[in-house]
Amino acid sequence: MSAKRKSKGVEFIRKTWSNMKVQKIIVIITFLFVPLFLLVLFTYLPFFKMVEFSFYDMGYIGSREWVGLDNYIEVFTRDDCLNALKLSGYYLLGSVVQIAIALLFATILSFKPKGSSFFRAMLYFPSLICGISVGFIFKYFYTHGFVLDSIIQLFGIPLDSIPFWLRDTKINNWVLVISSIWRYMGQNMILFIGAIVSVDTTQYDAAAIDGANAWHRFRYIILPSIKTIVIINMILAISGALSVFEIPYVITNGGFGTSTYFVLMDKLAHLNQKVGIASAMAVVLLTLILIVGITQKLVKKYMDSNYSIISSKKRRKSK
Amino acid sequence: MKNRLMAIILSITTIAVTTGCVIGDDDISNVENMEIAYKDMIVGETATDIKADLKILTNRTDLIDTDFSDYVNEFTSMYPNVTIKYEGITNYESDVTTRLTTENWGDVCCIPATVQLSDLEKYFESFGDYSYFENVYELSDSKMYDNKVYGLPSMGNVSGIVYNTAVFEEAGITELPDTPDEFLNSLKKIADNTDAIPMYTNYAASWTLTAWDSYITGSTGDPDYKRNLLVHLANPFSRQDDLTGPYAIYYTLYEAVNRGLTEEDPTTTDWEGSKVQINAGNIGCMVLGSWSVPQIKKAGENGDDIAYMPFPISVNGHQYASAISDYCYGVNVNSSADNKTAAMLYIKYLTESSGYALAQGGIPIVKDDEYPDFLKDFKNVTLVSDNPALKGEERYFDDINNMSEISLDADPTHVAEIIEAAIDNTKAFDEIMDEWNAAWTKAQQSEGIITD
Repeated sequence: MSAKRKSKGVEFIRKTWSNMKVQKIIVIITFLFVPLFLLVLFTYLPFFKMVEFSFYDMGYIGSREWVGLDNYIEVFTRDDCLNALKLSGYYLLGSVVQIAIALLFATILSFKPKGSSFFRAMLYFPSLICGISVGFIFKYFYTHGFVLDSIIQLFGIPLDSIPFWLRDTKINNWVLVISSIWRYMGQNMILFIGAIVSVDTTQYDAAAIDGANAWHRFRYIILPSIKTIVIINMILAISGALSVFEIPYVITNGGFGTSTYFVLMDKLAHLNQKVGIASAMAVVLLTLILIVGITQKLVKKYMDSNYSIISSKKRRKSK
Repeated sequence: MKNRLMAIILSITTIAVTTGCVIGDDDISNVENMEIAYKDMIVGETATDIKADLKILTNRTDLIDTDFSDYVNEFTSMYPNVTIKYEGITNYESDVTTRLTTENWGDVCCIPATVQLSDLEKYFESFGDYSYFENVYELSDSKMYDNKVYGLPSMGNVSGIVYNTAVFEEAGITELPDTPDEFLNSLKKIADNTDAIPMYTNYAASWTLTAWDSYITGSTGDPDYKRNLLVHLANPFSRQDDLTGPYAIYYTLYEAVNRGLTEEDPTTTDWEGSKVQINAGNIGCMVLGSWSVPQIKKAGENGDDIAYMPFPISVNGHQYASAISDYCYGVNVNSSADNKTAAMLYIKYLTESSGYALAQGGIPIVKDDEYPDFLKDFKNVTLVSDNPALKGEERYFDDINNMSEISLDADPTHVAEIIEAAIDNTKAFDEIMDEWNAAWTKAQQSEGIITD
């Protein structure tokens, strides 16, 4: 009797195990476990720790004290935090320029002019260099009397009338923005090229028959087709502008009014040992970026639904 | 069937391996006690058969393959069963601070300034009572808490100004300046009579700027000033009538920059290059600790022109210079007893007989050892080192210092701010000092200190 029941039990286990669905689940769990474990260990665990830290008055070592929302209140009342956020405006404007330039190059290069792959590689190259090196390159580039100044002097402008690029508070943030454009433009360009390549080329031929020039082709065929990518790039640029770090950190170390939000956060955490406030700053920044991210998702959803309506209309028409 | 088995085995092993990792790290290691105290150790005689593998964290990445490997060779010839591995860390302070929060970071490190004195015992093994070290070592109280010494200085630094004698001579400076205004006049002479940059700020390297904070003790001549007075004084950054104290130090910097006696574009200064430049006579002077002198002497052919002078502040006609301990060696409290003993033996060797301090331009910490030659301009100068804080007030300086975000000795931003304001005339000097006073007062109040 009991032997029978046992064999029934074994039979049941055997059956469930050999079930295709169960096997699938086991395989999925097994393979997901490692990456998920690493993700939790290196991303979520530190993140939740950081949120916890933001409620304490603490240094890296030593005792800590629960202060509730004090750190958050301080983030919003500190002048330097707000100034740092204002600096993002420079980088935001810069990213509009960056996207415009990237669109221009992407359009030109996707029509395969002579040496297009060479130029494509050249323009993408800065994105491959690590940010710290880019910082050092530009530090020497802008040094008074060095690379940039000697190029300008070739045009007969005396050294005395060339400004100090990194010292002059009227221009130094723009100078840094230009470096940032140089660094990230290639990335946008590659994305745009990818999008433009997917545009149906027969439309160009049709447009050419109708007498469209290059500008018309761009304005009425390319731009509408890659609208989603452009918008997404714009939104990515906003979160990028909020979290600028390497360029100002390496080139000016935040001096002469170039201390961005991240540079300030680093200073507070590592030099003043105010880990609590720095964590609160990070949480505030994360919230801002999350808002931007959600907007991006909503816009994409909206545009996708529009697109599917148009294409379904088209399909009906062709029937 | 095979596949099924594989899936099960795989899932079990991954879970076992990964959770095993986590549990393994949770072990609470016991603190082992050493058998021989530091003061009874004799290098070369005590425990020569000891077996240990030591890992030492150092900020001097430049010395690992040169001086340090010589010291290791000499030490291991006495202790053949000891191996010593140095690990150089460039971003020393913050990296080591993070590492200290784990228990197995190594056996010896240079204690970063971020560890508060009251926390020392959690991370470091005590070398013994201060009552012993007081009589044998200089500066042995810098990492002391509750009369126990947790760190021994690798060497002492004297705070002064590195200058090029040839440039000073060419400018017509016959006597070394001993007040801020005389110093500024001398810089002016260099600007007028030579092509050299009178004073180089090394603004861009930024860590070089904290050197300015180390003159505070010397600017008052009072060994109690930094750790006992500064925390209690109301508005310590205000101007004193005789132009001494912290105000005078930063005033010198502000005025030098404001009068155009420093490099034109501080944002692009170059630390490595500056050593070559001052050696070649293109820079008049740089405000740095004595550790910089040997490096600058080596940076070119005119090493003999490089000299060191006290900071130009006189208290009642007498000059003082701060003597500050360089990084202090600390031994990991969680290391095994053998490792601790070997580590302490090596530290004793380094501080007493390796010759490290003289080679690196510092003063040896063993009492009555001779000072390096370049300190000859200091013969009429009294060296002062900070007294420890009173019992119960050990945390005050660190707390106020960090809370005010001035962070003397740690954060170069406040010195950078002076240079930025001076160069563009965006703020008057007194305005900056008022801000510092306000921040300091606010921190004092939140710490509950009544100022007088």
